[in-house]
Amino acid sequence: MGITDSLKYYWNVKVVGQPFLHWQRRQAERRPKVSSRWRSDILSPPLRIGAKTKELISRHYLEGRYANGHRPVAWVTSGGPVEILQALGFYVLYPENHGALCGVRKAVVEIYGEAENAGYSTDICSYARTDIGSMLSGKTPVGRLPKPDLLLACTNICQTVLHWYRVLAKHFEVPLILIDTPFVYTKASDHALEYVKKQLENSIPIAEQVAGRTLDYRRLKEIIHLSKDATELWLEIIGRGRHHPAPMSVFDQFIHMAPIVEMRGKKETVDFYAALLKELDENIDKGIGAVRNERKRLLWDNLPIWYRLRYFAENLGEHGICVVASTYTNAWAELAPLMNLEKPLDSMANTYMHPILNQGTKYKLDTMKRMVEEFQLDGVILHSDRSCKPYSIGQIDQRNLLIQEYGIPALLLEADHDDPRAYSEEQVASRLASFVEMLDD
Amino acid sequence: MSNPIPSRKEVIEDIKNRGELVAAVLPIHYSRALLRCFSIYPVEVWGPPKVDVSLGGAHLQPYVCSIVHNALSFLKMGGLNAADFILIPHTCDSLQGLTSVLIDLIKPEQAIIPLYLPRGQREEDIIFLADEFRSLYTRLSELTGKKPSSKDLLAAIKREETSDLLLAKLYKTRQQMGLSNLDFYRLVRSREYLPAEHFSTLAEETLQTSTQPRPGIPIILSGIVPEPMEVLNKIDEMNGQVVADDLACCGRRLYKPGISPEPFRRMAERIISAPPDPTRGNPIEERVKYLVEMAQNSGAQGIIFYEVKFCEPELFDLPNLRNSLKEHGLASIIIEVDINNPLPHQVATRISAFLEMLDS
Ligand code: SF4
Ligand code: SF4
Repeated sequence: MGITDSLKYYWNVKVVGQPFLHWQRRQAERRPKVSSRWRSDILSPPLRIGAKTKELISRHYLEGRYANGHRPVAWVTSGGPVEILQALGFYVLYPENHGALCGVRKAVVEIYGEAENAGYSTDICSYARTDIGSMLSGKTPVGRLPKPDLLLACTNICQTVLHWYRVLAKHFEVPLILIDTPFVYTKASDHALEYVKKQLENSIPIAEQVAGRTLDYRRLKEIIHLSKDATELWLEIIGRGRHHPAPMSVFDQFIHMAPIVEMRGKKETVDFYAALLKELDENIDKGIGAVRNERKRLLWDNLPIWYRLRYFAENLGEHGICVVASTYTNAWAELAPLMNLEKPLDSMANTYMHPILNQGTKYKLDTMKRMVEEFQLDGVILHSDRSCKPYSIGQIDQRNLLIQEYGIPALLLEADHDDPRAYSEEQVASRLASFVEMLDD
Repeated sequence: MSNPIPSRKEVIEDIKNRGELVAAVLPIHYSRALLRCFSIYPVEVWGPPKVDVSLGGAHLQPYVCSIVHNALSFLKMGGLNAADFILIPHTCDSLQGLTSVLIDLIKPEQAIIPLYLPRGQREEDIIFLADEFRSLYTRLSELTGKKPSSKDLLAAIKREETSDLLLAKLYKTRQQMGLSNLDFYRLVRSREYLPAEHFSTLAEETLQTSTQPRPGIPIILSGIVPEPMEVLNKIDEMNGQVVADDLACCGRRLYKPGISPEPFRRMAERIISAPPDPTRGNPIEERVKYLVEMAQNSGAQGIIFYEVKFCEPELFDLPNLRNSLKEHGLASIIIEVDINNPLPHQVATRISAFLEMLDS
């Protein structure tokens, strides 16, 4: 790590960037502006916390921009065990989150075009294509992404990440830590848990070598503690959707989940979610719902369609429909009870084996059914995501069972979370319209 | 070849007539020896082509590969009725999804037995895979009531090792054997369903038959499976000669003998040390090195990446592989197919143009 890079980091991040972002946020909080295009007739004003979310995300990418040479950088899959890296002082970047951000900012087509021009098939996950496109061209809406010194791929969300990170490893010529988490068809076996724990243990010396320092287990416990606190708060936040009207829609959750994915294990993330929870409680007390005239409530399954969040919020909001909960945002909450500070590595092995994407289709169906009951929902939208086979395979039967066995209206929508070419608004609009009609019958 | 190769159907009938058990096994890696110890005969299911895909389409989205679609369709049309068990290795997200849908939602009559394959080549991966085989042993024991000893296991492993050594020998001498592409792959792919001892006899007989080497433009075939097999006929017709392969059903399963005297570890060693395979997570550099050496040793002038559409494990590596191969003077082409469709005319034209380009 070099002194010049550190000076650059301090000047650009600490002296100039952070105070500016802080000032910008305070301004936004003092004079909240609602865009003229915001459908105030059907949706309540955006949550105040939005200004803070924006500040946190901007700060995260700002830090990343100047991280190389100042602190070690790791690129990690969204379900990856990040706590060890954080305890070693890594700046952690989540390419999937960056992909989502590119989707929201409608920058994906140009960026994944770079990957496709280089020969990457349109049939591979659009997050991967976006990331590879950014890697090859340097294009990103956040200025610049830091180069990784270390890569960590955890297969608890899919095997795609392994194939994708092998491409990154070849390009950047840096070590790739693999945490392979055997899929849990019914129950995790002891030898699988032991295997994951062993890989976590073995990852430590590799990460230490790259970081140039030794892991402090006390610090690791503190970080797991913070991670658990943030995750528990996120669980509570999602749980507030049980109120009628729901104070927050999943389209808000999709935006405000960024810190739980990429900044868990930090004090400011805990504070952020405590503030969000407080705001939701205030809105509940005042009877303010995300959708002004909430008549029907839905569950969303699978990833968001990042480039059309507003469209869905408005299209459904017009009919008094609020999408209240989602198996996707819930995935970052439901693991909180598994975290155990006393046995950090055992607990990490257990936690990271059990995200919804690493469990069988029955678990997912049961989760949907449970959420429909707990949140008193009227139906389910299953986004069949062309890019994400592990989330999507099984949805046809799940949809049928929701309808036939449990009497829950369910709609399967074909799209792609980050590739607008696999999305037809005309088709979506007509399918949504029929679904809404059916809900009203 | 002196004796004709029995078909899958004939082999299954023969096994069933003897009152033995059959396991339908989906791609790619598993231990044949472990099944055989329980007198279960593995018969692999790579698709198969030419099925009514609407049956699988009732459960799977169109963006899932045709290997998985066809396997499910085949199961639903009764094609796997003769199987007592269905073993599904965890090869990719799509097979993972199929396994889970079968276990949880479709619930066919046969027991669905998943097998997780680790994605690394580290000591912990060998230990895990050996444990996975131990747990499979326990499951098969419960299902069959049998308890084969370590000696039985080792004997079964050695029988498979002998068969695999003969398979490797066939590969080594393929250019001298004078078999057409189609005949060679009919022969080596019979390893997918013939019991090891039968395959060994067949391989030995073929190795003893001396014929004239066949001339042709030397190429390597890479991908999952050469289906529809018609593609091999086309390559024959166009004067192409497949001199080596990096196919998941064939060359990527040239398992070397294991080292450990402990049976489960030995089974694991054999798979972990197999030729590089993206579904087992080998780094791209290893694949490049392996393919370049393969081309040098076989004299291949170009590589056809013959891919199943929507196969992510294959698709991710292609740009890097092709660029690196180009740097080594090796031309390549990507052909994507749906194994259920007859070989499109356009594919034949592209292969023909590629071979002509190599020839010139
Ligand atoms: S979207 Fe699905 S396939 Fe893509 S990285 Fe995420 S989990 Fe994997
Ligand atoms: S063709 Fe590819 S995606 Fe399909 S089952 Fe085989 S490895 Fe999986």
